Amino acid sequence: MATTLNPAAKAGAQVGRSVPRLEGRDKVTGRAEYTHTMRLPGMLHAKLFRSTVPHGRIKSVDTSAAKKLPGVLHVVTVDDVRKVLPHPYYGPAFHDQPILADGKVRFVGEPVAAVISADPHIAEEAVQLITAEYEELPAIYDEVEALDTNIFVHEELKPAGTFADLKHLKGAKGTNLALDYRLRRGDFDKAYAAAAHKFEHEFKTQKVLHLSFEPFACICDYRETGVTFYDSTQGPSFVRTEMARLLGWPENKVRIKVPYLGSGYGSKLYIKLEALALALSMIARKPVKIAYTFEEMFYQITRHPSTFRIKSGVDKDGRIVARKCEVFWNGGAYADIGPRVTQKSGLTAAGPYDIDNVWIDSYALYTNMTPAGALRGFGVPQLVWAYENHTDMMARALNMDPVEFRRKNLAVEGKPHATGQMLKDHPVDKVMDKVLERMEWSKPFDKGGSGHIKRGRGFAIANKAVISPTTSVAIVNVAADGSATLYCGTVDMGQGSDTAMAQMVAEILNIPAEDVRVTPRDTDVTPYDMGTLGSRSLFHMGHAVRRAAEDARDKLKALAKEVGEPEGSNIPIADLFQKRYGMQAGNVIGSGIYKPDYTPPAPGTGQSPNVTPFWMVAGSGAEVEVDIETGHVKITKLVNVVDCGKAINPKSVETQISGAALMHLGFSMFEKMHLDGGQVTNASLADYKIPGFHDLPSVLESHYVEHDQSNGPFGAKGVGEVATFCVGPALANAIDDACGVRLMEMPLNAEAVYRAIRAKQGKPLEEA
Amino acid sequence: MIPFELAEPTSLAAAVKLLDPDDETVRPIAGGTALMLMMKAGVFRPQKLVSLRKIEAKYSGIAASGDGLRIGAMTTLNAVERSADVKKHAPVVTRTMRTLSNVRVRNVATVGGALAHGDPHMDLPPVLMALGATLTIVGPKGERKLPLEELFTGYYETVLDKNELISEVHVPSQGAKKGAYMKVTTGSADDWPALGVAVVLDADGGAIKSARVVGSAATTKATRLKAAETVLNGKTVDDKLLKAAGDAAIEESEFIADVRGSMPYKRELMRVYVGRAVRAAMQGTGA
Ligand SMILES: Cc1cc2nc3c(=O)[nH]c(=O)nc-3n(C[C@H](O)[C@H](O)[C@H](O)COP(=O)(O)OP(=O)(O)OC[C@H]3O[C@@H](n4cnc5c(N)ncnc54)[C@H](O)[C@@H]3O)c2cc1C
Repeated sequence: MATTLNPAAKAGAQVGRSVPRLEGRDKVTGRAEYTHTMRLPGMLHAKLFRSTVPHGRIKSVDTSAAKKLPGVLHVVTVDDVRKVLPHPYYGPAFHDQPILADGKVRFVGEPVAAVISADPHIAEEAVQLITAEYEELPAIYDEVEALDTNIFVHEELKPAGTFADLKHLKGAKGTNLALDYRLRRGDFDKAYAAAAHKFEHEFKTQKVLHLSFEPFACICDYRETGVTFYDSTQGPSFVRTEMARLLGWPENKVRIKVPYLGSGYGSKLYIKLEALALALSMIARKPVKIAYTFEEMFYQITRHPSTFRIKSGVDKDGRIVARKCEVFWNGGAYADIGPRVTQKSGLTAAGPYDIDNVWIDSYALYTNMTPAGALRGFGVPQLVWAYENHTDMMARALNMDPVEFRRKNLAVEGKPHATGQMLKDHPVDKVMDKVLERMEWSKPFDKGGSGHIKRGRGFAIANKAVISPTTSVAIVNVAADGSATLYCGTVDMGQGSDTAMAQMVAEILNIPAEDVRVTPRDTDVTPYDMGTLGSRSLFHMGHAVRRAAEDARDKLKALAKEVGEPEGSNIPIADLFQKRYGMQAGNVIGSGIYKPDYTPPAPGTGQSPNVTPFWMVAGSGAEVEVDIETGHVKITKLVNVVDCGKAINPKSVETQISGAALMHLGFSMFEKMHLDGGQVTNASLADYKIPGFHDLPSVLESHYVEHDQSNGPFGAKGVGEVATFCVGPALANAIDDACGVRLMEMPLNAEAVYRAIRAKQGKPLEEA
Repeated sequence: MIPFELAEPTSLAAAVKLLDPDDETVRPIAGGTALMLMMKAGVFRPQKLVSLRKIEAKYSGIAASGDGLRIGAMTTLNAVERSADVKKHAPVVTRTMRTLSNVRVRNVATVGGALAHGDPHMDLPPVLMALGATLTIVGPKGERKLPLEELFTGYYETVLDKNELISEVHVPSQGAKKGAYMKVTTGSADDWPALGVAVVLDADGGAIKSARVVGSAATTKATRLKAAETVLNGKTVDDKLLKAAGDAAIEESEFIADVRGSMPYKRELMRVYVGRAVRAAMQGTGA
């Protein structure tokens, strides 16, 4: 793997150093703690009985045989839950999700009842003895059909009240639409009508899932005096607020402890198992653990399948003058964070291009499938999939080089985005140049001879706006011996945030990063953070951490002055405390809070001068070999370039880029949740395959361009998602370049490619 | 999963006695890699498992003699992969092992389990069938021999009675014959195959004297493709011949659709890969 990363950057300084993961040793020696493997004294286990129908009214649930099984302590349905939690509904955008199915089931796999036992195997066995009768209702699966149907997943919409733009949906009946986001800039209709060339395409993405190495897990220990959760969550502050709401308690009686996560990718946000664990612990009056098997992961949260209808008008010089985007997001049975995906990603649907007339409609839709939420990219990969295929298709139709066509239309620094915000720290051109340089794009390319292997290459570029406005708080505590501890709610789920945050503290306090302790997440101790999501943490929490460390540093300076040290003295910190308190005693506590400036988008047009504090930019280049006799695609080269501002930890940046790209290589090439009448037919790792080492491209490169983020902490910004954006369309563009077929839907698996080749030959392969 | 009885007999004969010809919930277990998947999915819920781990050591070994190899049913796939005897007598088997699942599975999965399971997606059965392997089967009434190609009767179905065990496999030496196994995946590279094609050829220069061709994974069971063999036998290899062999193969195969591909697609894969397998064997690049 070639790399431009320089681990030796700025010797001595803490920021810019490839500090090895602080927790790395504990993880590789098996000492790190995870919820999934944790046990509490007296802890019970719960297993879930799930719906077998996609949509139906529950006529009866027979738990009698399960209750009789020796070792079973409780068999719980929503009626039992109501006795302890009178309003058993939750969700970040809508309070639409019942703790256990309430009168109706809305997707196959929805939890209907829970069995509690001291022995998980007995609980599992008892689940097999439960039966349910349903009056089946017609079900809706397709996101486009969901907009116009008389099948309704919910009788009535219940906005949670937290998001202003959902209020108008309160009490809405007869709809599956959980949010309709709009952006209007210029006059699309007029510009499109006048355009010299018009293009219209429809693209789709499939249902895929996060598949964290550590499946969902939560332990709840409820007592009258307070409740403690041990939770594999990316958002402890949100869990605390929502659990306090369900209980009608103040937040200080709810404690969320988060050990390391075996990854999350957006799946462990908001409420997942917490509300159910709470109800079960209240009923059992003991700690109760729910820990999923891999097979159950298919019934919690997935990425949104999508349909994207895109129209562009291009003038005679190859400039895109008008673009209309209609995006349908398949949210599944419960809204989760879907409405936010619909809006916050929706605003970037027109791509990193300078287009005067833009129209975006983005719809969050309920369907009878496993709910969908954020997955490493918050919807952006689905959008890029569409607009970067569309870009290539237009270029080819116009007989323009796809790269040159893009260059002509890129929204570079200083141009307005479709929202009206002026683009700043948006180095699309630099990212593009770096990809092309590494792909040796200007050199002649061997497209393969007359044999059955055809070669091609493709390019894609994209941007994303970080979600705004969000808040982070941090505390830095300097002890009397000079050692420092950081309290921050960012959850390290493998992305290396603890190490990066420690580096920032260390930089300011002028100590080695290795000497900074980052406390495990515990809402009794760590202050508020909106959540570890959407690549926001390094920027937002980074600022809070920087401010907390600066506050501590300033207080140390004041302390030095107080004890009579001259200005600029380099007295060891420990001696300062000694002088002040006469012994090794005392603390200096710095705190920092950060919330960026923000102007809400104007209703109806989505226009705002300040919709996001920073942009992420990514580009990918792919080289492939297509076997035209079978449709197999071999990826011979994959180059991913991102802008991450200043790299706080270059090695972490590199692994975030390669990890994100490989994860999306799986989504692009073969991963797919197969559904048949609402039933998942490959709900196990035996049949749902993710990439392994043999799937690595022959050459895989990860790079970043050096471009300090002017408003970022130390010039930095997030890098967790950005390399996911362009992999799919770069591969699709390469396949088209190789053999002249365009796939409009992911995944780009061998059969799909082969079918497209046959269709192009005028000999379509018969359907199954 | 509820508790079940685990019997660990110390002889094959004792194991046979512990099995019940009429009880679905009693089964032998070898490496357990296939059974555990079924148990986790809840499709198999045992009362009793009869473990073969402690039976006589000879059933876990590989012995070479003049006429080929005897591989005990309890031999792990890893042992097969690393055996110098296998590499000498049946190099096509050694090559197949590298892409068969992953090292963690190969370390515990056994030859007997790979055969007895009747799963058409397994990589080893078609290769051993193409080599003309014979099984030794032990039951209450004693021992019988069975050509491997007669073992499978359908999707996850074999001729084995519930109280019969495979004790060993006899694999004739490949000798000067050329072999290849093509594992074709459509998901990740280490997925189960969407199609497997094994060929073993007795060839002289570019001419095939006789061929054994087996298709699997895309089909309901590992199947010897006799029509394709007839096309190839006595002919000199060229593109036209290979295409004809592929066409013949799909006519005699019973395809299945699953998450790895539709029937029409698997048919096309087979059409192409029969020829590719023959070429690979001729060039010595098989598996
Ligand atoms: C993650 C994973 C990936 C895999 N990928 C592949 C792959 O790519 N290619 C491939 O070929 N295979 C693959 N496999 C399957 C693997 O090869 C089989 O599971 C294995 O060969 C079965 O052997 P075992 O000893 O574990 O059988 P067990 O699970 O112990 O038994 C399987 C069946 O055979 C019966 N049985 C076992 N031994 C005997 C005997 N001596 N006589 C009679 N009946 C017996 C059992 O009762 C049971 O019905 C994969 C398995 C896993 C778990």
